[in-house]
Amino acid sequence: MATITINQQTYEVPDGITVLQAARQLGIFIPTLCDHPHLTPYGGCRLCMVEIEGFRTLQAACTIPVSNNMVIYTESDKVKKAREFALSLIFSERNHFCPYCQVSGGDCELQNAAYRLGMTHWPLQPNWQPFPVDASHPYIILEHNRCILCRRCIRACNELVGVNTLGVANRGARTFIIADFEVPLGESTCVSCGMCVQVCPTGAMIDRKSAYLGKKSEAKHVDTVCTGCSLGCGLDVLMTDNRILSIYGNWDAPVNQGVLCKVGRYYPLDDERPRITRPLMRHDGELKPTTWDKALNAAAHALKRQATNSLALASARLTTEALYVFRRLFAEGLHSPLATTLNGHAVRPLVEVLDDLGEPFEGSVADLDRATSILVMQADLANHHEVLGFMVRRSLNRGTHVVIADSRENPLAHLAEVTLTFKEGRQTAVIEGLMAAVARLGLGRVEYAEDAVANLANAAKATGLATDDFLKAAYQITRGEKPVIVYDPAAINDATAIKALVRLAKMIGATLISPKGEANSLAAAQLDLVEPLHPGTYEVAFVALGDEIPSEALVAALERIPYLIVQASRESKLTARADIVLPVYTWAEESGHYLNLEGRLQEAHPCLSAPEQTQSNEAVLRQLAAKLGIEVNEDWRAALVQRVAPVVIAI
Amino acid sequence: MSKPKVATDWLAGCAGCHMSFLDIDERIVNLIELVDLRSSPITDLKEPDPSGVDVGILEGGINNTANEEVAHKMRKRCKILVALGDCAVFGGVPAMRNFFKIEDALRRAYVETESTDAEGKIPNDPELAKPTRVRAVSEVVKVDVFVPGCPPSADIIYYVLSELAQGRIPVLKDERLQWH
Repeated sequence: MATITINQQTYEVPDGITVLQAARQLGIFIPTLCDHPHLTPYGGCRLCMVEIEGFRTLQAACTIPVSNNMVIYTESDKVKKAREFALSLIFSERNHFCPYCQVSGGDCELQNAAYRLGMTHWPLQPNWQPFPVDASHPYIILEHNRCILCRRCIRACNELVGVNTLGVANRGARTFIIADFEVPLGESTCVSCGMCVQVCPTGAMIDRKSAYLGKKSEAKHVDTVCTGCSLGCGLDVLMTDNRILSIYGNWDAPVNQGVLCKVGRYYPLDDERPRITRPLMRHDGELKPTTWDKALNAAAHALKRQATNSLALASARLTTEALYVFRRLFAEGLHSPLATTLNGHAVRPLVEVLDDLGEPFEGSVADLDRATSILVMQADLANHHEVLGFMVRRSLNRGTHVVIADSRENPLAHLAEVTLTFKEGRQTAVIEGLMAAVARLGLGRVEYAEDAVANLANAAKATGLATDDFLKAAYQITRGEKPVIVYDPAAINDATAIKALVRLAKMIGATLISPKGEANSLAAAQLDLVEPLHPGTYEVAFVALGDEIPSEALVAALERIPYLIVQASRESKLTARADIVLPVYTWAEESGHYLNLEGRLQEAHPCLSAPEQTQSNEAVLRQLAAKLGIEVNEDWRAALVQRVAPVVIAI
Repeated sequence: MSKPKVATDWLAGCAGCHMSFLDIDERIVNLIELVDLRSSPITDLKEPDPSGVDVGILEGGINNTANEEVAHKMRKRCKILVALGDCAVFGGVPAMRNFFKIEDALRRAYVETESTDAEGKIPNDPELAKPTRVRAVSEVVKVDVFVPGCPPSADIIYYVLSELAQGRIPVLKDERLQWH
């Protein structure tokens, strides 16, 4: 502990923290602009200047650590004058005229800082140097004229996302933010995660979807879960009236700690397919509005008559509650020959591995942020589970060693110290080879009972890789205390290979983490809803589509089935040819639970109130069950842990 | 004590601040009891008394030589000069043209704009004021009270005027300090 005096009051604070952190802990306000609690202090804006006894000049509170007996003044005349001067300089640099800026009136930290200092005018006028506006990006407009060069966006791009698209060019008054080597943002390596927008203190980063539509400072916040993939990132959804203003990453969410990707932030607002707002039934070849009672009766009638020839499909993005009723209704109640989820194959190989291992073998996502080395095994983390990819990317900042093994070109390969590109289908051989290489180098933590030299040679032959590649990879993945292996069971699609990975993980003391398809694929697996969609002579199909846009393959697979019942929120090719359409809530209207890839049960809360004639996915399935005389109890939690999972399920 | 004399005028602005002033509605009756409103663009008398007024209020930035004259005259004839609204305080919307050359702005306005025919011509009569860079009032004359806002709300204007009428210098802070 250190004893410090702030504004003539003495306090005890922990050693090693900055003056700003100390002041915040003590509830003493120091204005800031470039500082952001989730980014490394930068000390650029000079707004947090404080006077410290014994120092010749004022010091930036955000970067100076406390020391014992430090005497600090945060509100002296000298400090106030310096702050106003710093702000005056910032205002004079660019176009900070408030009336035509979308963040004016509460959302602008620059304006708020000026208000707090009671600035009624600018002591210095702007220098009238115009900067370009970069509107090349589909989601973000970069308005350089409002930029204060705080570099929060750059730090977020580097520290949180690890993409390093943003940087600066030039010096002094000509300094400005660039993407890559000064290319338009829309043509850059930007991954559209929008973290730069989330941290921008001014109106320099404009979110096309929310600009001028409402004030964030006046928005209602809903804490919910992203249904974009099985990672289950925490969302902070900003609402004005019954409209989503913007989607932010929830800084307090344990999984993503504020970070989101485009799938979570922008895609949900992109779905502009028309909503289905009333139950529909086909009459004389045409879909016509009907009542819920008639639609459900007709659906129940069709399912009852053809129960033994019925096919039931559900989106793996439905809530656990809905999936549970779905299973009860179709698998256990109607004994449908096939009741499964649309994307079950993602977790299916894991189920096979579990049949053999009989106990959880994967760890938690948090380990990825502590990893000293990472092996990415056939996981394309640039195109799905992007936030997992961000964790891998940003690990490079702390010197983590990354190895990538893939049969195809992996988009993260440029990050890797060693890339093993092997022959298609030889994943088991690659893993065996890595184990042999680890043993050969004597770096294993468990004994390797086989002939390492021979196995290594065999693996090299089978995979088309050099033994040296294996040895280099083995060296990298065993460097440091905490190796992590990220693998994609759907891409590997081979229980033998995954079992080999489990052995490799044991050998090097690694945590295994795997993306698991859709938001609730793991719950679907726990509820036995991961059979692949195999052909059969089905007479009736029930598809609980939710928000899903049906794939061409799905539409084709269902083409020959004479009677189709679709439960969906929006119009699609499938609803167009359905005989009955049951309108349901969207992700933003639903409430319920999701089981993420690490076994964390998370609750989604409704953001929007749904159109009057729509119902939740669970409610529709429950009513259908009731019409069919099938009893459904409430105990979905117990059903989730009835069988062993690849991860420890925390419910 | 006689009532303080007030004069207002507008420069390169949109008259919105004067509209906002009128939005004080029936409170104008209270104000008239407190002050002697002498000249304004919306009353018959357009210029402040040569013998001087107590409070001069200017809306708008200064974007030509005529505005300069008005500002100097007001400054000379008033004791306390108030810059009312973002244009007077900062330059505001008209100041956007400062990011371009004056010739380019004039050509856009008088020649290239969609509503002029191909014969568009930039006015150049010697009688006309010469356009300049748009400036905040304080860049041309000394300003005593800054009232930012686009426009400042009627409540803020009423507060400022009633403080001045009672011989106090208004202090704009917290919710009364708004640049938007």
